[in-house]
Amino acid sequence: MGRKADKGLEIFDKTVLGGTLFALDKTLNALALAFPEFKMELRKKNITVQMKLRDESFGRLLKFKDGFVTSNNGIFKDADVEMVFEDENVARKVVALIRDQAEFVNAAKSGSLALNGPDEEAMWFSALLLKVFAFDVLYAKNYGTKMPNGEKRYVTGTNGGPLFVYVKDDKIVRVTPIDFDEEDAEPWTITARGKKFSPPKRTTAAPYAMGWKSMVYSPDRVLYPMKRVDFDPDGERNYENRGVSGYERISWDEALDIVSREIIRVRQTYGAGAVFHTSGSHHTWGNCGYYLSAAKRFFNCLGATNAALNPDSWEGFAWGATHHYGGSARNGGCEPYSTVEDCMQNSEMIVFWSSDPESTAGVYGAQEGTIRREWIKKLGIPVVHIDPYFNSTAAFMGGRWIAPYPGTDAALALAIANVWMNQGTYDKEYVADRTKGFEKWEEYVMGKTDGVPKTPEWQEEHTGVAARTVRALAEEWGRKKTYLACGGITSFGCAGRTAFGTEWARAMVCLIAMQGLGKPGVNFGGLQYGTPLDTRFFFPGYADGGFSGDYMGTGAGVNIYNRMPQSPSVNSETQLIPRLRIPEAIMDGKTEANHMGVYSVQAQFAKIKYPAPGHSTVKMYYKYGGSHIGTQPDSKRFARMYRCDSLEFVVNQSIWMEGEAKFADIILPACTNFERWDIAESANSGGYIDKTYLQNNHRVVFVQHKCIEPLGESKSDFDIFQAVANKLGLWQVFSEGNSEYDWAKRYFECTDLPKKISWHKLLKKGYYVVPPLPENRRDPVAFNWFAKGIKKDTPELSPLPSEHYGRYNEGLQTPSGKFEFEAQTLKMFDPNDEERLPICTYIPSWEGRDAKELYSRFPLQLISPHVKYSFHTMGDGKDSNINDIEEHRKLVDGFRYWIFRMNPEDAQKRGLKENDVIEVYNDRGSVLCALEVTQRLPKGIVHSFEACADYKPLGEPGYAVEKNGCINNLTPSRFITKNAHGLAVNSCLVEVRKWEGENK
Amino acid sequence: MEKWHIVVDIEKCVGCFNCMLACKDEHVGNKWLPYTDEQQKHENKWINPEKHERGSVPFTEICFVPHMCQHCDEAPCEKKFPDVVTKRPDGIVLLDVKKAKGKKELADACPYGAIVWNEELKTAQKCTLCAHLLDDGWTEPRCVQSCPLRALSIVHCEDTEFEKLADKQNLKPITNGSNQPRVLYKNLYKFNKVFVAGALAFLDGDIEKAAVDARISLSLNGKKLLEQKADFFGEFKFDKLPKNSGTFTVECLMEGYNPIRQEVTVGNECVKMELMTFEGR
Repeated sequence: MGRKADKGLEIFDKTVLGGTLFALDKTLNALALAFPEFKMELRKKNITVQMKLRDESFGRLLKFKDGFVTSNNGIFKDADVEMVFEDENVARKVVALIRDQAEFVNAAKSGSLALNGPDEEAMWFSALLLKVFAFDVLYAKNYGTKMPNGEKRYVTGTNGGPLFVYVKDDKIVRVTPIDFDEEDAEPWTITARGKKFSPPKRTTAAPYAMGWKSMVYSPDRVLYPMKRVDFDPDGERNYENRGVSGYERISWDEALDIVSREIIRVRQTYGAGAVFHTSGSHHTWGNCGYYLSAAKRFFNCLGATNAALNPDSWEGFAWGATHHYGGSARNGGCEPYSTVEDCMQNSEMIVFWSSDPESTAGVYGAQEGTIRREWIKKLGIPVVHIDPYFNSTAAFMGGRWIAPYPGTDAALALAIANVWMNQGTYDKEYVADRTKGFEKWEEYVMGKTDGVPKTPEWQEEHTGVAARTVRALAEEWGRKKTYLACGGITSFGCAGRTAFGTEWARAMVCLIAMQGLGKPGVNFGGLQYGTPLDTRFFFPGYADGGFSGDYMGTGAGVNIYNRMPQSPSVNSETQLIPRLRIPEAIMDGKTEANHMGVYSVQAQFAKIKYPAPGHSTVKMYYKYGGSHIGTQPDSKRFARMYRCDSLEFVVNQSIWMEGEAKFADIILPACTNFERWDIAESANSGGYIDKTYLQNNHRVVFVQHKCIEPLGESKSDFDIFQAVANKLGLWQVFSEGNSEYDWAKRYFECTDLPKKISWHKLLKKGYYVVPPLPENRRDPVAFNWFAKGIKKDTPELSPLPSEHYGRYNEGLQTPSGKFEFEAQTLKMFDPNDEERLPICTYIPSWEGRDAKELYSRFPLQLISPHVKYSFHTMGDGKDSNINDIEEHRKLVDGFRYWIFRMNPEDAQKRGLKENDVIEVYNDRGSVLCALEVTQRLPKGIVHSFEACADYKPLGEPGYAVEKNGCINNLTPSRFITKNAHGLAVNSCLVEVRKWEGENK
Repeated sequence: MEKWHIVVDIEKCVGCFNCMLACKDEHVGNKWLPYTDEQQKHENKWINPEKHERGSVPFTEICFVPHMCQHCDEAPCEKKFPDVVTKRPDGIVLLDVKKAKGKKELADACPYGAIVWNEELKTAQKCTLCAHLLDDGWTEPRCVQSCPLRALSIVHCEDTEFEKLADKQNLKPITNGSNQPRVLYKNLYKFNKVFVAGALAFLDGDIEKAAVDARISLSLNGKKLLEQKADFFGEFKFDKLPKNSGTFTVECLMEGYNPIRQEVTVGNECVKMELMTFEGR
């Protein structure tokens, strides 16, 4: 461009800038006239603001006085706040009504845009400008759908499906699943065996979604900042009284003052690593407010020790199966694409093995899969369920139920392989062409290496399942094209959370590989995952990081970085604590465990050690919510941890007063997602479960309206972090000055939504249904490329290019590129690791029927799968309507006890009957429950769901009998296998007796 | 005129309790006068899927039977309390909010136990079929709208038309039907019938195998009632037998083996027969 053109542009920019700034005071005054609330906002400050170019060639002064704004051209000294633009070009782009996000971020990063002055005044002015852009929403409340009866209908998302939220007078009237209207996209059709199947035009809701209104208005809501009565930050802290003392209400000012002073004190006193933060695995729905977005950015800005997460739902697959077939980015999970259609068209049998999607909804899948599983009944495809408990999926679908003793599933699977090897009823061509190391495994299965053929008769003594039954299953499976469902979605499952559950998961992939994984009708899935939706439409999931700016610690580096301009954030502190060893880290001051890396298969062989070199041990714990004590193994450890003096300060940011919140020194009241802005898609987590939304029958993307004002003095997590950040001088660093509404809008702009629907329309209607692609453009079936030996053609970016040892995108993520029955990665790591050999074996559990001494004292094998009616702790307790479900809790003598299930013979032997209050105990603890006597369990196996929301000890926390059903007080914290950081809660021996003690 | 009818399909109910939760969501904390006052938060349920278990390991079965006001055409509550109970022309039965106050005995008037006593408001209450919503243009009550498979569904049509549908789909009242309930059920056998199940094996050398080729029949007084082929586990199940229907003969045949005959008495519960092993001729 010539110099003349440059000059022309400069003049143009200056004119636009001048015009914009000239109009600014008039705009502000006009808005104040129209909206009294905005007028109040203007009245808050009497200040002057100088807006100018850096070279002072142009400037305008804004004067705010008593709610009026006036302005003058020129450069003035001693303005309260200065907004300085590098040059007119930057200024025009930033100030222009349609802001260019990338330019804005660039300008802020490069210092081309600066805001000088006292934080409070600068923040106020910056927020005021943004409010101008959002005035129709913030002040005109121009969003949602007006109903004829005066109610307003909004939309939000939950862990169990999206909801319509009807509101009147700032009160939620009702929540419902979404019925689509005539302008929404028509659904897909699957044609199978001469029949056509289409899902209904609506969303579904899980029970914990239907219970949300009662959770919002729970009497257990924390409505004000609270301080433990005997906690004095400047005097006695009385650590030992955590979990016992009561709380008193304090002001936000006092709470923020204590929290920010403590952050600075511990960090300046102890240095890096002293502040520790964890949250539960699941948050209230929304991609910007999620812990992987707002909290991630906040703690990155602050510098904090993080928890290294164990892949708790995938354990067996992540630490086991991945060595045979890769999939590290999915924690050992498999591809889902188009498997629903393939299963319906081509499979002749479905085996649900440790798979109960009717209880778990996969994850976030509401009751979408239920609709498809009913089609399987219509198609008459036979199903088999392998689970120690007659689960809800078996109850709904029918079919044969097989109940092995917990933790022995690998033995059952080996016997199936043995029958196939003996009878030659497996895909020999596939095994020869597409796999490696089969002979090694065959030697073991046939008993050549140890003299013990793994026959159906052999497995019977381990599993308790008749050899006849296993042989019959193996023979039928050998004859029929079979889908295998592991866990509610895929690659999950209770059996993978047992001692050596790695071997079960390994056996699962080995079995399906023997039958030709990826060939028509032979694949993983139970109709829960892999619907024919449009995977090309770009809308990320919550684990893709929102506005975290964390390109390595979330999925942002893969899925958002090139779409959503935002300043990056990095946590400079590298210290990690393995989540399963948090109490040990705090109480013993040191711990270590393997770290589940997702970029490669062998990353998991590395250990993390705490404390990290040069880092302090943890002195302050900033906890988000109260779930660990209900969801983590041997969870009384947490109560003991909180009551020790190595934690100098504990702050909990919680919606409800429950679980660990009751162990904090300061509790900050967080609001629910019904009380804040956000944006998201139903069942789209992104991250470890790429394209999770393929559990849905429709891609439903929505804005999450702020349906009501936050209750009491509660605030959104975002606003709380912003308030703390302000105290630490981090206000711009944390949010770029944006509100959560601004972020939701910025997020919208980064997706494919603007091509289909305007922000204005989305704000009104609330949701958009992404049309499915025409039939001839559907995604290829998962692993079909692998079966055919062609290049990977399924729509995902994993594994990384460097994870292909041969040519890129040809073959699996194994050194050979083939399915490896003998896993080379394990062989290279430690070929003699008896707890995880290069081939899949059966290893008797340390806490099962083979643990003779333990078993003689505690002869009942307890499994505690993911709870059905609550999403982990989100639903249970809180006096929510969920507690009235008779299958969730039982009302006995005025208390709603957690349910414990047992076979009639076991009950009779102990003199117990239905509805008895019982004490379930072992060496780790003692928990009260109400008894359900049922034929859903064989003798010797007992069942109680995990994740009671509140911890109610009948005495000293960490030691006393627990009344509320915290089953995880009883489960072992030992790792699934020694070189893994994985839990094995379903290897748990207990005994049961009638409770005769006091209940208070 | 077109009236409201409710259909409950037991085979489609997955036991999610959304109906009960949606009902609470609509009625706890919301007053829909003049239709009804607020529902009591705890203890009171206007609709509730009750679990029913039958059979034993491994032939266990679970079903859920939603219980609710049957909106009877010959409502016993209306007969006893004509001043409190209104039968609307569209079929919906409502209690008068004012007149139901203090009338605990209303609850006893319902043979289905569908009228509950709200201890907090000291009043009798029940399902209104969300009449306040239906009158406002909704096409389904809350329980139906939240039901994932529409195990609960609602039909708005003439009674004569519904009778045809009931005939075609074999819909039945949950009890004898003398009160002419407007709630009809499908696949009630899971709730009120029993089955006889068992497994068959044979010895192949010293290996016990499932008798997948066996044929099994069920006879009563010498008359063959049902016959089926064993499944691939060598197992069979004769379902939908009336409770206490007598002593049956189960005959199992497999080519090349001696027939097996056993008597089995069907009482109140499902019968699981011990494993039967074919022996060679």
